[in-house]
Amino acid sequence: MSETLNQEKLLVSSSPHFLKDESIPKIMHTVILALIPAVAASVYFFGLRALLLILVCVGVSLLTEYAFQKIRNKPVTIYDGSAIITGMLLGLTLPPDFTLFGAILGSFFAICVGKQLYGGLGFNIFNPALLGRAFLMATYPVFMTTWAEPRTIAKAVDAVTAATPLALAKFEGKFAPLTDLFIGNVAGSIGETSVIAILIGGLYLRYKGYINWKLPLGYLGAMAVFGGIFWLINPVKYPNPLFHIFAGGAMLAAWFMVTDMVTSPVTPLGQWIFALAGGVLAVVIRLWGGLPEGVMYSILFMNAFVPLINKHTRPRVFGEGAKEGEIAPLGGS
Amino acid sequence: MNNVTKMFLNLVIIGAVSGAILAVVFGYADPLIQANKEKELKEAIFVVLPEAKDYRLHEKTIGKEKFTVYEGVDAGGNPVGVAFKADGGGFQGNIGVMVGLNLDYLRLKGIKILDQVETPGLGNRIGEPAFEGQFKNVEITPKVEYIKNRKPEKPNQIKAITGATISSDAVVKNINNAIAKALANFPKDGWGKGGYAPSGVESSTPTGVRKETHDGGK
Amino acid sequence: MAENNVSLWGEFKKGLWQDIPPFRLVLGTCPTLAVTNSVKNGVAMGLATLFVLFFSNIIISAVRKYISSQVRIAAYVVIIALLVTVADLFLAAVFPAISKALGPYVPLIVVNCIILGRAEGYAQKNPVVPSMIDALGIGTGYIISLAVMSSIREALGFGSILGFKVLGDWFEPWIVMILPAGAFIVFGSLIAAINYISQRKSAAQKALG
Repeated sequence: MSETLNQEKLLVSSSPHFLKDESIPKIMHTVILALIPAVAASVYFFGLRALLLILVCVGVSLLTEYAFQKIRNKPVTIYDGSAIITGMLLGLTLPPDFTLFGAILGSFFAICVGKQLYGGLGFNIFNPALLGRAFLMATYPVFMTTWAEPRTIAKAVDAVTAATPLALAKFEGKFAPLTDLFIGNVAGSIGETSVIAILIGGLYLRYKGYINWKLPLGYLGAMAVFGGIFWLINPVKYPNPLFHIFAGGAMLAAWFMVTDMVTSPVTPLGQWIFALAGGVLAVVIRLWGGLPEGVMYSILFMNAFVPLINKHTRPRVFGEGAKEGEIAPLGGS
Repeated sequence: MNNVTKMFLNLVIIGAVSGAILAVVFGYADPLIQANKEKELKEAIFVVLPEAKDYRLHEKTIGKEKFTVYEGVDAGGNPVGVAFKADGGGFQGNIGVMVGLNLDYLRLKGIKILDQVETPGLGNRIGEPAFEGQFKNVEITPKVEYIKNRKPEKPNQIKAITGATISSDAVVKNINNAIAKALANFPKDGWGKGGYAPSGVESSTPTGVRKETHDGGK
Repeated sequence: MAENNVSLWGEFKKGLWQDIPPFRLVLGTCPTLAVTNSVKNGVAMGLATLFVLFFSNIIISAVRKYISSQVRIAAYVVIIALLVTVADLFLAAVFPAISKALGPYVPLIVVNCIILGRAEGYAQKNPVVPSMIDALGIGTGYIISLAVMSSIREALGFGSILGFKVLGDWFEPWIVMILPAGAFIVFGSLIAAINYISQRKSAAQKALG
């Protein structure tokens, strides 16, 4: 049964069901378009090497999807664009000097384990790009945390590696200026540094109506408010709310990963829970965890709860009866 | 024989036989296990105090804890340095470090990681000579410090392992804590001619008393 | 006599493929996941388990007629615990490095379901010799499983097998393979591979028959 669903690319969601002139390829191609500013910013700040990383990730993602579906005798769906997005997102979250072999490995893992083993698009529990990144984080922890300064900053002679704004804030108590963070003139994953470029893409998606505003707003809002509480308590030790949402992967994740239709809840209440809890969790990891950045794990962690959230926030349809062989309990199930 | 008696006898016999076997095995294994521990300890002391040929044991009770210091002595019996164990939490569990200190209490003579369960290939590189070796001749005043991604600038600094700051930090913290304890409980003036009175049995040369006991146990 | 040999061989062989413990019976998975980050540890764990399994099967089979059924589990547990303690003490005395690396997992053999499973499922119903063979088969299968698991993990995680470099300097070790996550990835992949092979085998047999 699940195979038929996959072939016809049906997104199963709670009612009401409207017929719209939308299809998976159309949505996906719009998302790809929305990611172009972030790609452009990554090339501007980190050079052609950044473009190479992204292209390798996209290529391997497509190839893995194609090979997997061929081997399993399933219809090949690489033209729907979902594998391209996974590849792009994974590439954008890698450090600039990351090895190409690592990028290949991560893309393969993202598509193979993160998506196809679950049954393909629509059945994966975790965001494939983030799962691929988590795998790389565990596989190459040193490469994944070795950063280079952007091209736009003249390199100091003896500085081989640079520290990200989050690492500086966590380990040395220094906070990068917000304007640098907004433009993207800091060390970090190639596609995560430029807030303005991501924002352009995200707002375009919102304008096209493909993003549910609750998710990015809830996620970034929770980060800002929760992080802000600690900033108010001790502004020397803790970064300010804008720093929290501008630094690291927060922006990219909020617009392009939290909003992933497959791995986020379908009910409005569920979406609020998902986004708010994810944002709080990201700040908790940033402030008290061993790692400077918690966005990736916060989303993966909340992904695991999506089926549960969906189940318990399902709206009760008026007149909905008891299940077969069951007496309806008073006061709802 | 009724069933209850049978059950009773079953368990009593099995228990008694098992107990007897265990006693024999333990009699054989325990001296060996103790000897292994002793050997490990001795090797660690000799690594952090390279000039030492033997050591003397000193113990002091601080509150409820016992603090043990090993005084390394050369062939002539003259003190060459002090060693002690520094324990504390790392990234995943306890990190135990043997610390060797110069008698003048100004510099470290060396360290060796004894116990650790850090991430293989990452945090557990604290056990590699490249990291341990950095502590040789590091000044301990005001404190041992670590520095990230750069070459140490001051004589009291070492370079943390890239990607394993927490483990490196834990090692340095443990060492500093233990040095503070040693400084407070065994002031350096005490190591002069008379020295502190050794507590317990003095250790002997590697082919010492211990070995004979376990031969006897066989 | 010849027929007897064949069946004993069959008893031995079933532990190597048909009932290979962690992948088919899904027993003893805790050490399979926990200590297979290097071949040395994996094989040492397998040998310790084989030792315990071998003697527990023999002893339990030998005394099976004298133990009243109400207290049999208690009796088995005492016997197994004795053997495990002996193995633990022996390792600590003679191979301190391995004992340290295996940590709490040697004492934990006592709760390894393979041991009690074979005692309940085989040794208490069968004479000594077949029980011995059964233990050897299952134990060898377990050693092979741990060796395969740990070879893959050590090769990818350290670039070596038994400490010898098998992958060149170009290879950047995959740290994840020595971490718990890598154990689950390799374990899942191996179960999938074994299921795939046996499905094809049975399909081929059907086609023949």
